[in-house]
Parts: sequence; C-alpha cells; structure tokens
Amino acid sequence: MCQSKNIYLPNLATIEAIVDETPDVRTLRLVFQDDQVRENFSFRAGQFAEYSAFGAGESTFCIASAPTRKGYIECCFRSVGRVTESLRRLEVGDSIGVRGPYGNSFPIEQFYGKSLVFIAGGIALPPLRTVIWNCLDLRDKFKDITIVYGARSEADLVYKRELAEWQERDDVRLVKCVDPGGNGPDFDGKVGFVPNVLEEAAPSSENAVALVCGPPIMIKFTLPVLERLGFADDQIYTTLENRMKCGVGKCGRCNVGNVYVCKDGPVFTAGEVKAMSQEF
Amino acid sequence: MPQIITEENLRNLIDLLVKESKVVVGPKETGSVVLYQPLTAGSDLRLDSLPRRSAKELFFPICENILTYQRQDGKMQVTDVDRSHFPETVLIGAPPCDAASPAILDAVFSWDYNDEFYLERRRKSTIVGIACTKGDDACFCTAVGLARDTEAGSDLFLTPLKDGSYGCKAVTEKGKALVDAHAALFGEAASVDAALFVEQGTEKLDLAKIKNWLEGHFEDPLWEKIADICVGCGSCAFICPACHCFDINDEGSTEQGSRRKHWDACGFSKFTNHASGHNPRDVQNKRYRNRIMHKFKYYDDKFGKTLCTGCGRCVRACPVGIDIAEILSTINAKQD
Repeated sequence: MCQSKNIYLPNLATIEAIVDETPDVRTLRLVFQDDQVRENFSFRAGQFAEYSAFGAGESTFCIASAPTRKGYIECCFRSVGRVTESLRRLEVGDSIGVRGPYGNSFPIEQFYGKSLVFIAGGIALPPLRTVIWNCLDLRDKFKDITIVYGARSEADLVYKRELAEWQERDDVRLVKCVDPGGNGPDFDGKVGFVPNVLEEAAPSSENAVALVCGPPIMIKFTLPVLERLGFADDQIYTTLENRMKCGVGKCGRCNVGNVYVCKDGPVFTAGEVKAMSQEF
Repeated sequence: MPQIITEENLRNLIDLLVKESKVVVGPKETGSVVLYQPLTAGSDLRLDSLPRRSAKELFFPICENILTYQRQDGKMQVTDVDRSHFPETVLIGAPPCDAASPAILDAVFSWDYNDEFYLERRRKSTIVGIACTKGDDACFCTAVGLARDTEAGSDLFLTPLKDGSYGCKAVTEKGKALVDAHAALFGEAASVDAALFVEQGTEKLDLAKIKNWLEGHFEDPLWEKIADICVGCGSCAFICPACHCFDINDEGSTEQGSRRKHWDACGFSKFTNHASGHNPRDVQNKRYRNRIMHKFKYYDDKFGKTLCTGCGRCVRACPVGIDIAEILSTINAKQD
C-alpha cells in the first residue's frame, strides 16, 4: 500500500513509568516503540501532542518533559473524561498512541541572557515544567530564575519531588503556595493566591520575561500584577489551552477569531492575546 | 466551436461511465427526497431539484475510518486505511452552489498538513457542474458572489439550452479528458445563444463591507437577538456544503476497533468545552456568532475565501427559521 502520509496516524509508545502526582493527576513516561521514531523524534518546549488510549480516542496535552532530556517524553493529565479515564487504566508496558509534536513553542533562544519568572497554577505546571527543565539544563544562559507555583491545596501540587529539588537549588528561587485553607500544619510554602504571592515576591522585570500558565481566572488576575511589576506585554508569554482535536488546523475547534491555537499557538505573548477577540 | 450534449447523450454518458467502473454520483430520487447518490444508470439523474444535502460528503464523508487498531500477541498494531482504493468518481449535475464548495474547502484541508482522506478523493473526482435555471426563496448564491452560471469548481460545465440539450465547456484538464474520452457523445453547435437563464437571483451583498462590520462588532446586540431562537441543533452545519468541522473518536474495544473522523458543528454546546469545564463559547449567541464570523471573516482572513456558497440549505433546514441571508442583508445595510 503506497500512499501519502496519513496525518492522523499516531506513533506507538510504551508506558515506561507512571507517577501519581495527586489523587487524580498522573504522569506517564513514554518511549516510542519504533527505533527510528525514537531516534528522530524532536520537539521544542511548549509544543503539544495528541495522546490516544485505543478504544476511547485522543486527548491533547503539552509535552511535559524537557526537549533536552532525550529518549523519552512525558505527559501529565488529570482524569476528567472518557479518554483520560482510559489513559489512567493503562499500566506500565501498555501501548498508547502519540501524534505530534504540534504547535509553536517558547522562543527559548530569545530568553538567553535574561531573567526568567515562571508563574503556574494547579495542573498548568506541566506546560512550564518543560521550559523550566529546558532552561535549567542550560542554566548558564540565563540570569535569575524565579518560579511561583500555586494550587488549591497541598494535595493538588503536582511534581512535588521536583518542587523539593528546585527548592534545594541555590540557582533557583521557588515560591510555592496554596489557597487559604489548603495548607496542612507542616506546609513550608506561602498561603495565598498566586497573583498576591507573585506581587509579594516581586521579581524584577528588568531584562526579564514572565511565563504564565494557569486557569483563566488566575491569568486574569496575574497579568495586572505583572504590569505593576513593570513587565511589558511583549515580556509576558502564556499558552492558550483551547479544546483541540485534530491538532493540525483542520477540525475547526480551537480557533480564537482567525487564530488557530493548534497551529498559530499554543504559545502567545500577552500582547498577542490582548489583540484577539476575547473568546478563550 | 461550442460543444453541446443532448439530454439523451448525457444519460448515455452516465451509463458508459458506470460500465467503466467509475462511481457516478448525481441528484437521484431516494424515497421522498432528492439526494446526491451513486447513479446506476443515466435514467437515475434528476436535474429539476436541488438535492436536500450538499455534495461535500462525497469528499468529506459524514463518518469515515482513519485507522484501525488491534492487539495481537499482547502487542498493539495500528493499520492505516488503504486510500489507493478510493474510486474514480464523477459528480454530475452539481449546481454552482455545490460545485464551488470543494474548491473552497481545498484550502483548509491542504493547509500546511495535508488531509489525504479529503485530498485523495478530490484528486480522483471530476465535477460536472450545471448552470442553475431556477432558485427558490432560500437561495442566495448571487448574494455571496456566485452566479447561476459560475463555472468555478467545475471541471466540465453544462448550460441548459432551450432545446433540452446542454452547452458544454471544459473548465479544467479533467473536464477536457472526460469530453475527449467520450467524444462521440458530444456534438458541435453553431452557437449556444439559446442558453436558458430565467432568474438573476438576489441582490449582491458587499462581502468586504460585511467583513469589515464583523471585525468591529464582535460584541453586538445582534448576536443575542439571534440566540434568542437558535436551538443549537447543528442542522445548518451538517447540511452546509462548506462547513467542515469534525471530531475524532474510537469505535470498538481496547483490543480492536477503528478510529473515525466524523462531522461536528460549532453550534453544539460542548464543541469548545474544556476538560476543566470552562467553555469559551458557553452560550448560543457566542456559538452562532462564531458560525457567521468563520464563514465571512475568519476563513477569508486565513484563506482569502468566503465559506458560504449561498445554497440556502441552512435557511430551509433551520427548525426555528433563522435566515442567514437575512442576517447578512441586515449587516450589509448597517452604516457603521
């Protein structure tokens, strides 16, 4: 059967490891089964993929691991629907389908020589974790690195082991927080909402970029704080997490105005987001 | 010298193509409605009625397999669909509003990534369009820039003549090849002055002006006014020759099954619903606004084409009587 490429055909990957981040958030480490695919697969931080649980369908997540870590990719998802529940039923050694990488990425080379401020909320740490590790693997190329990460409760914080690792490092400033009431007696972070905690941490905007990822309500209240800290629109990056299906600009699902988030995004500057019809 | 084909020879052409094992699709009476259906003989062809559904499903089926999967000896295997067996197809008897749509949809399906399911069918298809002699109250092709005799999208274009025969014009190489392969059925006419045009259609809209208004009126009371009655049934999208939104789902078990691409509609309430429960288009007026914006602004921004051929099917099918032509006229008449 000699024919042109089927863009909907996934590559098969094996689940090499499973980590439960929270009671309903899970990370899968995936290794492509085909030797050539494994060797040739490359991506940039911020890109996403379509992951399939055969029998249920496909779901869209960012590639959560860093492009500087070769040989595998990781995805991180919350079980909320049919496909994610099916992905959750898979075990180590099982096959899943992966299509991608798709979309644009964070322009990391443009960040060289600058300070980085990462701001994430809840399950939105994975899209920034890929950039954080990418940049930590190239640590000499950046100045200060600040990470502000918050969740509703201690239990909802994802990548706890990596938060501990970042906390230990003297070349990273981690400010971890949970919403009021979400803290246990031994919680060693801040108690408060991400925008407030960010304002208090007050990272410098001088020669810096801010990368923001979180629920719409968090982003809405974080952008004014960044403005007060002196960040201009072109110093602020975010990802739009629109519902996607095909991932390649055909199915008509993810558009915000004439922007196809799957093709033109998912990474945008705050200036680009403000110019869009407000429908996300 | 212009070419003609008699009505009898047009039907003979269909018989011949069927004998050649080509799939011939055209308007055919099916139960109580006329639909684009495979024709088994020239006598099946009905040219007096616009098919209830558009011809897009010939290139973009309502539902189709895009892969199959099976677990064998504990190992998952994914198999591509053999598209080399897609048949050579002749679409015959499509009026300009239907013949134009594949040419419009080519842009989205070949943008950056090629959807070979659509494109392979396009490569293997020949479209014989026919000038339209009679619209109805819902038709508005002339309002969106087409005409009763628009050849765009057709490979071979027929013009009904007063004596019952058809003037023929090969618009593309595919159309010329079809005529050359069956030259005996086509004759030469001294002229085709007797072309049968009975209506000019509705008044032309200023699409640039409409687009300009849409750009500045993302928030406008108009959208809420329409949403008061839209029920989000999706009929307008499913019956439209240009709507192309789709979903992808699996059918089968975790052990064996197929992945399928199938039509979807931006009018459905869950179309943009996020896993978190957040829905950017959470009410019907936002969804209907997207439908109009996509057709008359976004698609034009991206691909330089209007995503509407004015066939009027959405007007006829809407259960609550929303008339897209009326909405466009309203916008066209606005001063700011």
